[in-house]
Amino acid sequence: MESQIAELTAQIAALQGSAGVTNTMFAETFYYLTIPLMIIIHAGFLAYEMGASRAKNVLSSGVKNLLAFAFMIPTFYFFGWWVYWGFPTGLTFSEGPAGISGAAYASAIAWGWGDSAQYMGPNIADQASGVFFGAFALFAATTASIMSGAVIERIQTVGFVILAVILGSFAWVVAAAWGWHADGWLVTQFGVHDFGAAGLVHAVAGFFALGVLINLGPRIGKFNADGTANHIAGHNLPLTVIGLMLIIVGFWGFLMACVIVPGEAWSWFGDKPSTIYGTPITLSALAFNILMAIAGGIIGAWVMTKDPFWMMSGALAGIISTASGLDIYYPALTFIIAFSAGVILKFCADWLERRGIDDAVGAVTVHGTIGLYGVVLLGIFGSGYPALQGAAGEVPTISLIGQIVGAIVFFLLGFVPGYISSYILNMLGMLRVPAGAEEAGMDTVKVPAQGYPEGIAQSAPPAE
Amino acid sequence: MFPYSEASWSVVDGAMFMGWGTALPGITTLIAAAICVFVLVVGQSSEARKSSKF
Repeated sequence: MESQIAELTAQIAALQGSAGVTNTMFAETFYYLTIPLMIIIHAGFLAYEMGASRAKNVLSSGVKNLLAFAFMIPTFYFFGWWVYWGFPTGLTFSEGPAGISGAAYASAIAWGWGDSAQYMGPNIADQASGVFFGAFALFAATTASIMSGAVIERIQTVGFVILAVILGSFAWVVAAAWGWHADGWLVTQFGVHDFGAAGLVHAVAGFFALGVLINLGPRIGKFNADGTANHIAGHNLPLTVIGLMLIIVGFWGFLMACVIVPGEAWSWFGDKPSTIYGTPITLSALAFNILMAIAGGIIGAWVMTKDPFWMMSGALAGIISTASGLDIYYPALTFIIAFSAGVILKFCADWLERRGIDDAVGAVTVHGTIGLYGVVLLGIFGSGYPALQGAAGEVPTISLIGQIVGAIVFFLLGFVPGYISSYILNMLGMLRVPAGAEEAGMDTVKVPAQGYPEGIAQSAPPAE
Repeated sequence: MFPYSEASWSVVDGAMFMGWGTALPGITTLIAAAICVFVLVVGQSSEARKSSKF
């Protein structure tokens, strides 16, 4: 009898071990797969920006976008990852209530030297750090790509890379630490909820771009002497539209990476997935709501513009306007909000253009304005939802005031660093290319290759 | 619009979207459907007007 019990105990232990291995491999694979999915966002931004550029600038726009991605990864490794874990409680760098923040904690897990380095490289006992780092590094690269499109056809390459690093490896990371972390002061004190990063990724990047655009100035020929704007068409609208659709594909990876899988030592739950705040969520919620958001945004933009560029921008706006609450919105409500975002999109972009801002791809509007619109709307519809785990009355709840505070902080975390850093670069002569170079075309000035060496070639005759 | 009387996730064991248990899901579904129909009517009218010029 005793031997049978011992045998059963051993079998249970073996089964538990096997289940643990399966769960750990699932968790690691889950985040690992978000990385190539999010790289599709960058394939999309690459196509989108190159299509939106005139033919004389097509390759330099591509080079700039590729460099933003390439510099974002190492700089996020060098210090961005530390910022996320070190900053949640604000500038005190102290440990928060969940015990997963502060300078000491960050220095123990997110520095590339000393004992901390064990979590920053291959380690058979750590199947989480690398994939988490990878997902966050791709969030960072997304912010840089958002800014990248707005400034095409006149920015200096190195100046742009410096701006991208400030945005991607610092500014948005501070926003994430404050509003996208269980110890973040915006969450613990104001109940800010931004599940899909409408504010802390999109709005921060969009308003960072606005700060840069003010100092960068419009492209030559964009505005007339009386202040009216000219439309500067990109050389390949179909490429731009397909790029936008690729961004939508990549968003599924982006939003998937916002989910914390269950069953691991670092998970919030043993039996169900959660948001980054430790509140419950399901992938089914995302499937319902993302699809409805895409549809609502496209339809809203179509009825107002009939323009495929704005329709696909409307799809992005649909997701961004609902991203803060994709975990708790009802799908029909998601559709209505996304539709409204698609409807107001072009109007908001035109309003900005009338203020003399030359945003070549509408990034400030799609990501900035609509991002804040989504953050604030969640305060209206989601008021009363617990923002964290815990007993009623002991944890903050989502509120309109809290979401407005979050929106203001996200705006400032984007706009102020963008404006100041581009102002300094401008003083140093590192922001804008000379007028002659801009008129000649950035490819001729910067790129030892031709985008279309045969021009738009006529097809060869078909075989008989 | 938290659909449970106690503002804690520990009491949530099922639907957790805004307005669950109220008329809101039905109303928003109706509005969303109406938007689709309205947009198609407007779209048809606009396209017919433009097409008639050719």
